[in-house]
Amino acid sequence: MRTLYLVSASLIALAACGAPKAQVDAASAPATAWVRPAPNPDRNAYFGDLHIHTRSSFDAYIFNVRRTADDAYRFAKGETITHPSGFDMTISGGPLDFYAVTDHAEYLGILPAMDTPGTKLSEYPGAKSMFNTDASTPEGRQRITDAFQTIGATVRSGDEIKEIYDETVINSVWAENIAAAEKHNEPGKFTTFSAYEYTAVTSPKNGMGFGGGNLHRNVFFKGEAPARAFSSLDSVNPEDLWDWMDQQRAEGREVLSIPHNSNVSDGQMFRLQTYQGGALDAAYAEQRMRNEPLVEVTQVKGTSETHPSLSPNDEWANFELYDQLLGSNIVSQTKGSYVREAYQNGLKLQETKGFDPFHFGLIASSDSHVVGGAFSEKNYWSKIGIVDGTPIARGSVPFPGSKDWSSQPDNPITQNAKNWFSRWSASGLTGVWAEENTREAIFNAFRRKETFATTGPRMKVRFFGGLTYTDDMLTSPDLVKRAYAGGAAMGSDLVGNANANPGFLVWAQKAADGGLLERVQIVKVTSKGETLFDVACASGTPDPKTNRCPETSASVDMATCEPTGNGASELKTLWRDPTFDAKKRATYYVRVLENPSCRWSTWEALRAGAPPRPDVPATIQERAYTSPIWYIPG
Amino acid sequence: MPFDLKSLAREPLIHFILAGLAVFALNAALTGLRARADQTVSISRADLERMATLYTAEAGHPPSESDMAAMVADHVRDEVLSREARRLGLDADDTIIKRRLAQKMSFMVDDLAEQKAPTDADLRAWYDANPDLYSEPQRLAFQHVFISRDERGETAEAAAIKVRDELNAQKSPDWRMAGDPFMLSRDFGDVPAREIARTFGLEFADAVLKRPASDAWQGPFASGLGLHVLRITKSTPLTLAPFETVRDQVLADYIDARTREANEAEIEKLIAQYKVQIDTLP
Repeated sequence: MRTLYLVSASLIALAACGAPKAQVDAASAPATAWVRPAPNPDRNAYFGDLHIHTRSSFDAYIFNVRRTADDAYRFAKGETITHPSGFDMTISGGPLDFYAVTDHAEYLGILPAMDTPGTKLSEYPGAKSMFNTDASTPEGRQRITDAFQTIGATVRSGDEIKEIYDETVINSVWAENIAAAEKHNEPGKFTTFSAYEYTAVTSPKNGMGFGGGNLHRNVFFKGEAPARAFSSLDSVNPEDLWDWMDQQRAEGREVLSIPHNSNVSDGQMFRLQTYQGGALDAAYAEQRMRNEPLVEVTQVKGTSETHPSLSPNDEWANFELYDQLLGSNIVSQTKGSYVREAYQNGLKLQETKGFDPFHFGLIASSDSHVVGGAFSEKNYWSKIGIVDGTPIARGSVPFPGSKDWSSQPDNPITQNAKNWFSRWSASGLTGVWAEENTREAIFNAFRRKETFATTGPRMKVRFFGGLTYTDDMLTSPDLVKRAYAGGAAMGSDLVGNANANPGFLVWAQKAADGGLLERVQIVKVTSKGETLFDVACASGTPDPKTNRCPETSASVDMATCEPTGNGASELKTLWRDPTFDAKKRATYYVRVLENPSCRWSTWEALRAGAPPRPDVPATIQERAYTSPIWYIPG
Repeated sequence: MPFDLKSLAREPLIHFILAGLAVFALNAALTGLRARADQTVSISRADLERMATLYTAEAGHPPSESDMAAMVADHVRDEVLSREARRLGLDADDTIIKRRLAQKMSFMVDDLAEQKAPTDADLRAWYDANPDLYSEPQRLAFQHVFISRDERGETAEAAAIKVRDELNAQKSPDWRMAGDPFMLSRDFGDVPAREIARTFGLEFADAVLKRPASDAWQGPFASGLGLHVLRITKSTPLTLAPFETVRDQVLADYIDARTREANEAEIEKLIAQYKVQIDTLP
């Protein structure tokens, strides 16, 4: 183990900074310039994070985040940077292939300016209240609290505070973020996008503040970005954002947006009405899908695939759920908040009304507010800043002064840890299948929805559906070529005919240095319901009666967090749906499960010599979700 | 939730003041304080309470010692830089940068710190000391035949050796048909070391990068995925670009690094000229 570590360390160093100096021989080595690799028609898997905040986000600055977009891209390329709490952060698993800073557009860069003495912004009453109030009196303290809450409340209401809504500052910070993306984009090596977060929230059920149904979206430009970003201070109605995006496209700026945290949308993200409460129609569906071909299905603040109450027959549905509306302890409504249910509602609408507003693919990201995601259970740092920067704050180890979990004091730190931070996840990453690592190729993969989402590990998964696939393909060296040529890849439609029961080809490969795979599943969704099939197992084959793999021996040694038991490096199968009906629409997507491994909270408890927190799972099964293939009767 | 002074007072702020800010206080004391009033950065009890309240407003609980230390350290730095900026009259010109005085001051410090142009000898020394910055990483072009451990279990090793020997004896007509199917490419073009590590794992990359290019099939090499028999068609060592071809980049990097160093040193010096007073809570 120790030897392996040393090997790893040397290669990490090599990956990070080129190579050991000893190997350099300038005299004998001809200077052969690197040539960008030719595009691979069979497509490569690339991994990235599309959801990153820096100091310019109003809710990051307040937690001592001082790092910039430039720092964020340097982190993604493998450089070590400092967390707001003072420790070093280095990306797990080596540099990423693509990355996008998505600061909140609302009041972009305004808080840093308000906190700079001598600026005009610092002279405004709101700034004085936040950064220059005598806090020795209860009235003073209340004024500070109110001032900050007021900002969050106007992001929700959409009525900007005129005195601090300084568009000159906002647009100049937006220009800085665009410049950082341009500076770090290296075709063939590393891809960036100009991007930002549109931060719409519905009104909370009670009280002031930021809590409410989350309708956040990240907006990505393929190339050129406009000088001004459309924010919730322009309109809190996402349909107005889509109008603006349509206009951008008409002006030659290709753009798409990706919603996230539907799990805390209070049923609003996939509800079956327009924002104003009107009936959905074909024009709505077309506009939504033109602008939002993808959804972020997992991130630090929970996973939005499905919920046990929506999928009672899915034994794996209770995975890293998080349901507290932002900044509150109000529980989000389940219905209308999860992806799998949206797929079913999409088919219902398609069959009854002829359109589907939920024909989207899947990605994952971190939503880190400290410029870099953790992506690793073993090496986790949550996402906000100093407020969740330590195991105590996150509630993975008992509060100081208490030895075990039965005697926890009841204070704001333990409350927040219990309700929020302990339930967050070391998730996630986006995988794309693209010919090469360029903006053009990766953005085109977004458009094709040839994407998959992982909860952090860089496992790879291919998924195709075809009417004429044959078993011999599984051992064919040209498997991928034949699969592309004779069928539909993940994210696309498969048009059937009355006589064919299509074959679905799934091929999953574990992360090079990650955990072993336990099983591959296909989730089938129709307008009538859902069925979960295990289609490939690390040991044995699925039982045709139960559609489940045999029990596995895989487990975790809780004394060391070392995984034990069998698992697979690769799982591959050609599967046909035993319940197939050629005349009915069906949506199929793949879920890949790793063997169990320690959750981040267990790793932190283990290192502290404390028992793992009892009200969160001690182990999890990391997983990947593909974009669906939509079967359409011919 | 309502802010509670008692809960704040229970926070060990005094400890933090002693530990977290000793560095500023000590630094100031050792370098000799300038006692003028405008050379004092005072962090009053009210300031501390304001920072704590603002934090509490968003976090829902009071900050810890280290949270306070981080906030106060940044506050001192920004305060010093913005005062220096005003002292130099930087707030008198354009409006956007005026709003970020501290930032501008740090650019200004850049200018002050970097005065003399580097000589050719400086640049050569920098280039010699940082060859990794001017090198293309080691690259391999290779073809590989995959032997699945999942499929073959105990017999995988023997199967891999057999495949290798048959390919080398040219008994196997087409390497593309040999072994087990592989999800990614069988034929890797000119890929850098880090790509190999990311695709096949660190152990595999470490092993194959040491091997020479050869017509012969080599291995098997173990990856996290299974076993691989390789024909390395080309190995490009890590190559250092000649100094002349990268001189402009060396100059830019040199200035960047020296500026960054000098910048930090200047800021430290500025902060040292200030007396930092921190009030205590009762």
